[in-house]
Amino acid sequence: MTTDQTAPTSVDPGAPIRARAQVVSNLSEGEANHRIELRVERWPQWQPGQFVMLAPGAESAAPRYDPLLPRPMAIYTADSKGNFDQVSVLYKVEGRGTRLLAAAEPGEHVRMVGPLGTGFELPPEGHHAILVGGGTGTASLYSLARAALERGPVSVILGARRAALLMAESDFEKLGAKLHIVTEDGSRGEQGLVTDVLGPLLAEGGDPAIVYACGPTPMMRACHRLTREAGVSCRVALENRMACGFGACLGCAVPMAEGGFSLVCKQGPVYDADTLEWEGIP
Amino acid sequence: MSGVDTRTNLAGIELRNPVLTASGTFGYGTEFKAFMDLRRIGGFVAKSLTLEPRFGNPPPRIAEVRAGMLNAISLENVGVEAFINEKLPEIPDGVPVIASLFGTEIPAYAEVAKRLTGVPKVAGLEVNASCPHVKSGGIEFGQNPVVLAELVRTVRAATDAPLLVKLSPNVTSIAEMARVCEGEGADGISLINAVQAMDVDVRSRRPVLKNILGGFSGPAILPLALRMVWQAAQAVKLPLCGIGGITDADDAIKFLLCGATAVQVGTANYTNPMAAAEIAEGIAAYADANGFARTADLTGALEAP
Ligand SMILES: Cc1cc2nc3c(=O)[nH]c(=O)nc-3n(C[C@H](O)[C@H](O)[C@H](O)COP(=O)(O)OP(=O)(O)OC[C@H]3O[C@@H](n4cnc5c(N)ncnc54)[C@H](O)[C@@H]3O)c2cc1C
Ligand SMILES: Cc1cc2nc3c(=O)[nH]c(=O)nc-3n(C[C@H](O)[C@H](O)[C@H](O)COP(=O)(O)O)c2cc1C
Ligand code: FES
Repeated sequence: MTTDQTAPTSVDPGAPIRARAQVVSNLSEGEANHRIELRVERWPQWQPGQFVMLAPGAESAAPRYDPLLPRPMAIYTADSKGNFDQVSVLYKVEGRGTRLLAAAEPGEHVRMVGPLGTGFELPPEGHHAILVGGGTGTASLYSLARAALERGPVSVILGARRAALLMAESDFEKLGAKLHIVTEDGSRGEQGLVTDVLGPLLAEGGDPAIVYACGPTPMMRACHRLTREAGVSCRVALENRMACGFGACLGCAVPMAEGGFSLVCKQGPVYDADTLEWEGIP
Repeated sequence: MSGVDTRTNLAGIELRNPVLTASGTFGYGTEFKAFMDLRRIGGFVAKSLTLEPRFGNPPPRIAEVRAGMLNAISLENVGVEAFINEKLPEIPDGVPVIASLFGTEIPAYAEVAKRLTGVPKVAGLEVNASCPHVKSGGIEFGQNPVVLAELVRTVRAATDAPLLVKLSPNVTSIAEMARVCEGEGADGISLINAVQAMDVDVRSRRPVLKNILGGFSGPAILPLALRMVWQAAQAVKLPLCGIGGITDADDAIKFLLCGATAVQVGTANYTNPMAAAEIAEGIAAYADANGFARTADLTGALEAP
């Protein structure tokens, strides 16, 4: 077990808003990966790891009852552009909702609620932050990488089945973190799984490490196992199904190691991996 | 806005307008304060309470289906004491709160009802009859008229607060269940609760919910709910609160025309946290545009076919 204290982030997140966001751009980044840039009047204070609930498609297609529920998506970046703010989301076209979202044209409006959930605490001073992203989980880690680089060394491990499915690789390259790319078929970077890189990295020694993982549940479990063996703290960001995103439906609950449940949309999506009951996480 | 009088008396509960939010879809009210002034709605029905805090079902608890969703949250709630001591103080004055209660045995309902009676801000009680009754082998209280009668009678004896009974739609005759409530002294009837349903993921060949069965809610169930409200309105004189798939003002007006005194907005709160407030304003605008001086005059104003 580890006992290190992580420092809080410098900003407390503001209360969430419901925004009618205008699509600035919405482009494919190869295969199913897309990036949508959304303009809002004013975006509240937010933390890396927080998310939005994004309507499945543009408002002009409304009222649409099928698909019905908004989709949880990590806030990739949110920056001031002078007299408005711009929120960007990286998403993978998975099913019906994200397919409709991909059809939203610049100038159209998309309903969005956020920022939601409890984000990452930044790494403690003097720590080596190791970020492990798989699939859509990569999107949850970018703003964390950006903030953590201001405090200390950051390594990023990004994994996918094959090269074309990697998300945001060039953005991470530009950040200047130490970047490891892993694909299952070896079409880019090393061949294998993210854990094949994480294991040796944890064994290297040097600064005390802290691991942040977001991706498919089996990947996060495997990262957690490795960090336990190495006596290193591990934070994970879960990507469970949600209906409301703000604590009203109790639909997103996951079991905790000490018994009971926790709401991924409120107490999460970020958890100390030791506190979760991994057997019960879908 | 318009000069339309939106005040509504639902079973002795004075509401600013006829739009409430449905139990289990509005948390304990506090979750929505960031999005709107709660005084824009008539009031809200809080998540159903048991005497002690309870955990719910393991995940996945929810799934999206065509024009709706399934949920199998089960009994999860903070318990009646935490509701009174931690949640209610967060609710601004002037927002009528209807406390919903459930249990797995009849005496447990009565105890929760007693505890909530006379608590400031609690304007009324709603008995959730869609809970599995342990003694009947898990069928819902609201599915057996004899059990439902005993439940309503027992809770009625335990409280003098305005008492609504929320019916299960998973019955052969909703009119019969409504008459049971009237006969046992309920002050009003809320209907419908979520409809029992399931879905399957053909890729994994598994039910989409860990619990297999769940409650179906959302726009898809509106015609079914409307039919039940209309049938109940024919069967009893008690005021009705219409629930099921309401997403906009027109949806809500349909329930009023079919005989409901008020409505509850459920799943729509997830797609738009301000939905109930916008619906309340939309009903007033409709009344104004159609020459109704009071929104209450819309109740039962269905024209002959
Ligand atoms: C906090 C959080 C942050 C997220 N951030 C991002 C992000 O930045 N980028 C991104 O691309 N995705 C992200 N996701 C995942 C994203 O929400 C889902 O991929 C999306 O909702 C799928 O919608 P859809 O309409 O494409 O698929 P659907 O048609 O809804 O579903 C396609 C299939 O996937 C299943 N499914 C849907 N959602 C989930 C889920 N959450 N878990 C398991 N199975 C599911 C469905 O049952 C169905 O079989 C995040 C999720 C959470 C909770
Ligand atoms: C996630 C969820 C949880 C619910 N929990 C409760 C509950 O605790 N008590 C209750 O009486 N009804 C509960 N309901 C049922 C709703 O109050 C409502 O009757 C039903 O969803 C139909 O309305 P709708 O289609 O507008 O959602 C729940 C519904 C949902 C979707
Ligand atoms: S998604 Fe509704 S409570 Fe978390």
